[in-house]
Parts: sequence; structure tokens; C-alpha cells
Amino acid sequence: MAEVMAGPAPYVYVATRLRVRKAKLLRPEEYLRMLNMSLPEITRYIEELEYKTEIDELSPSFSGVDLLEVALSWNLAKEYQNVLALAPGTMHAFTAAYLRRWDIANILTVLRGRTQGFGAGKIKEVLIPAGSLDRAALDRLVTEDSPERIVEGLRGSHLYPVVTRELSAALESGSFARLENELYKQYYADLVRVARSGIKGGYEFLQYIQLEIDITNLQNLWRLREGGATEEVREFMISDGRIPVDELDRVARLDSVDEIVDSLKKRANLEPLREAIEELRCGCPVRQVESRLTRFKLDLMDRMSRRYPFSVSPVLVYLERKRYEVYNLRAIARGKSANLAPERIQEYLVI
Amino acid sequence: MALRDIKPTRSELINLKRRIQLSERGYKILKMKRDGLILEFFKVLGQAKDSQNALNAAYARAEEMMAVANTVEGAIGVKSAAFSVKEVPQIGVKQKNIMGVVVPEIQGSSVTKPLVDRGYGVLGTSSTIDETASAFEDLVEQIIRSAEIETTMKRLLEEIEKTKRRVNALEFKVIPEQAEARDFIKMRLDEMEREELFRLKRIKARSQA
Repeated sequence: MAEVMAGPAPYVYVATRLRVRKAKLLRPEEYLRMLNMSLPEITRYIEELEYKTEIDELSPSFSGVDLLEVALSWNLAKEYQNVLALAPGTMHAFTAAYLRRWDIANILTVLRGRTQGFGAGKIKEVLIPAGSLDRAALDRLVTEDSPERIVEGLRGSHLYPVVTRELSAALESGSFARLENELYKQYYADLVRVARSGIKGGYEFLQYIQLEIDITNLQNLWRLREGGATEEVREFMISDGRIPVDELDRVARLDSVDEIVDSLKKRANLEPLREAIEELRCGCPVRQVESRLTRFKLDLMDRMSRRYPFSVSPVLVYLERKRYEVYNLRAIARGKSANLAPERIQEYLVI
Repeated sequence: MALRDIKPTRSELINLKRRIQLSERGYKILKMKRDGLILEFFKVLGQAKDSQNALNAAYARAEEMMAVANTVEGAIGVKSAAFSVKEVPQIGVKQKNIMGVVVPEIQGSSVTKPLVDRGYGVLGTSSTIDETASAFEDLVEQIIRSAEIETTMKRLLEEIEKTKRRVNALEFKVIPEQAEARDFIKMRLDEMEREELFRLKRIKARSQA
């Protein structure tokens, strides 16, 4: 690596390596073939992929579909840490910032698990150390005996200010929902701040983050409409997207889907985003809207990574594609173990 | 009541007639109650069938949604979301009266919650968790409803059985025995009257002779 540490070379090197890794990910037809396999066949198939180490390591503690799921999550965490170690300079900063979403999920699981009185072992099973908090740090937090001490254990981390601010209200109400929402809002605000900080590659990163914010907002807008919570939409929207939160809050109260789509399209100043909004017109259930938007987001990311081949985009595309490979493998294994029909499982796959 | 224990007196006959009247009135009322309870039972039976079907459907949907949630979110995601549930539904039991039968009126509070009050964050989960939570809320609601209807049905059945036994006892045992005793007293009294008349005639004949 010493010879590729200066100039654009590190970006080219990492982007190329990750493009190669992305090419090695499972292809849609392989998932379709797996849909016709039995669960033991799927397990064997997955074992023959790059998940063998984790499966072997975890097989004394887990079995069946649980073993597969935990092994997939461990592999994902390992792969993310691997990518992080690979990324140089600003790319590393972007990638690290992007992976912090896993810290949020882990911290919330620890806090919720401890307040509900679950044992450390049970909580550890559901942690995925893919962010900045590694397994050792999470193990330390899990053994703390009170939420206050868990939060103290986070001192110095990027999560600490928000968690400290929201913890007392969360403990008083007994619900960590607001804390969770605030952490995700802060996460996106941090990403946008990093992207706008003037470092090289920030523009491409910002474009991607704004797209993710917009698509997440659209998905949540649809969920909240379905859940009859149109009055509280503003509280759950992430700012800094291309579509202003005021507009999302306003359209949430409209009855007709066509009106909502037309209004949002007028405010979206980016063609791909307008295409994403158009997806909402399908009139399908929220779950399908979510899947369509996720697929759409991945396609857009692919397009962006081709447009900016030596930016952070190829890294993010790989991270997301890898995440959805794990997601698809887990979905197939879980769906098979629950005896869901292959056609039904296929509906949930992101391919 | 053995016939030999009965005192064949006029006052006993009057008492017995009163008791027969009372028994017949009780018999009629109990029969009406039994019929009413049966009618009520059939009404509840219809509801029970509907609620059982709804319960089966809610259970199947909840199971299916759990499978879908495990498929989409993985067991890790589902467990993580489940950690956020802090409020356990409370079950309140009141009582109501159906034709003298005390049946429960079960009410659940905090069973169905709006999306924003479920305890998990909207930004960190997907709609599959919403649908699964909603399917399980429906299932709990349905279990509460079924518990109320099935307990009502069970209590009604017990009461019908009890009333039927009473009606049968009155119809086939108490009233026939009382009627038999009444007839016996009547017969004895008639006999005693005849004996008395015969004795009087004998005395009269002897005194004239």
C-alpha cells in the first residue's frame, strides 16, 4: 500500500478492488436457484461461499437457521471493517461516518435489552459490530448494569451527546423510540456535515446521502400515512434531503396519492428522485412501496458509482450491495424454514 | 317421600296442594328459564363460532407475519424491535348478568397502539415490523374477545344443565310424588269418611234395634 498512498491512486485502487468484490457478489439468478433448494441445501450452498469461516466458528453455539443468520451478520460486520481498513483518507472518513448507523442499532439494542432485563448473552446474540463500536466495546457495554452506566461507557463517541440529552426522557417514558429517531436524525445530519465540510469527494457523497434521506423520508411518509399518523409526520422526517420537511408534512395530509406524487415531483429538482416519487403511484401496499424504493435506490447508486467511478460511491454501492446479499440469503433461509412459498420469498428479495 | 310417612290429614292435604301449586309454578318458571337460556346459548354459540373463526384467522395471519418479519428483518431485527415493547396489555374483568347467570365482560387496555406509540423508532425499522405488530395486536384482541364469549358459553351451559336437572326433578320426581301423596291423602280421607259414615250407620242401626 505504501506506493499508492498519494494522489488519486488510493481512490482508484480501493474503487477497483471494491468493484471486483461487488462483481463477486451473488447474482439474481443464483438467488432464484436457491429458492428451489431445501434448507440443508441452502446451508451447504452458503457454506461454500465466503461465509464458511463464520459458520465453522459459530457452529458450537448455534444451529439451523439461527446459525446461518448469525454467521451472515458476523460476516457482514467483518467485511465492513475490512472495507473500512482498506479505505484511505477522506474515503475512510466518509465510510466510517456511513457505517455509524450500525452503532445506533447496537446501542439501542443494548439499552432496550438491559432495561427489559435480558441477559448479556441474549443481547450479544443480536449485536452486529459493523460500526465504530467493535465487539470488545459492545461486550463491555452489555455487561453494564444500568442505562446510565451504558451511556457513560459511550463517553467520547459520536452518539454520546444525543443519548445523554434524550436518555432521561426515554427512561421516564419507558420508550426509546424518540431516542432512536433522534439518533438517526443526528446520524444523517453528521453525514451531511461531513459531506459539506469541503473535503474531496464530498459532493458525490452528499448527492448519495441526500438521495438516501429523500427515499427514507418517502418510505416513512407512506408508513405513517398507513398508520394514520399524518399529524406527526414532521417529527419523523429527516432534514437536509432535497424535498423539504415542510413539503412532506403538507403532502402527508392530502388524501389522493396522485396529488401527493404530483406535489412532491414539483419540489424534486433531480430527475432520479422524480422517478423514485413516481414509484409511489403504484397503489401497492406499504411493504411493496418500500421494496420498490429500495431497489430503485440501489439502481441509482449503481448509476452514480458509474458516473463517479473514483469517488466514495463505489464503496457505498459495495457496502449496500453486500448488505442486501446478506439480507437476501437470510430472507431465503428464514423464508424456507417458515415454509413460505418460493414466490412469496421472492417478493421480499432485493434483486 | 314414602307414603307411610304421610299424615293423612286435611291440613296436610291443604299444605300439599299448596306445595304442588308452588312446584308447578316453579316448574313452569324453570322451564321458561331453561328455554330462555337455550335461546341465549344459541345466540352466543353463533358468536363463538364467528369468534373462533376470527381467532384462527388472526392466529394464522400473526404466524405468517412473524415468518415474513423473520424473512425480511431477520430474527435479530425482530428481537431487537421486540425489546422495545414496554407496556404489557392490561386485562380488566367486569361482570354482567344474563338471566341470572353471571358472565365475565373482559376488556383489554393498551392492546392496539398507534404506530408512533409502539415503542420502536420509525426511522430504524420497516413497515414489516408495523404489520407484524399490528397482526399480533389483532390476535390479542381476538383472544380477549374469544375468552369472553367462550367463558359466557361455558357458564350458560352449566346453568342450562343445572336448570334442566331441576326441571326434570320437578317434572318426574317432585310433582308426581306430591301428586301421589295428595291422591293418597285424598283416598285415606275418603276412606276415613266412609268408615265414619259406616260407623255412624251401624251405631244408628244398633240404637234403633
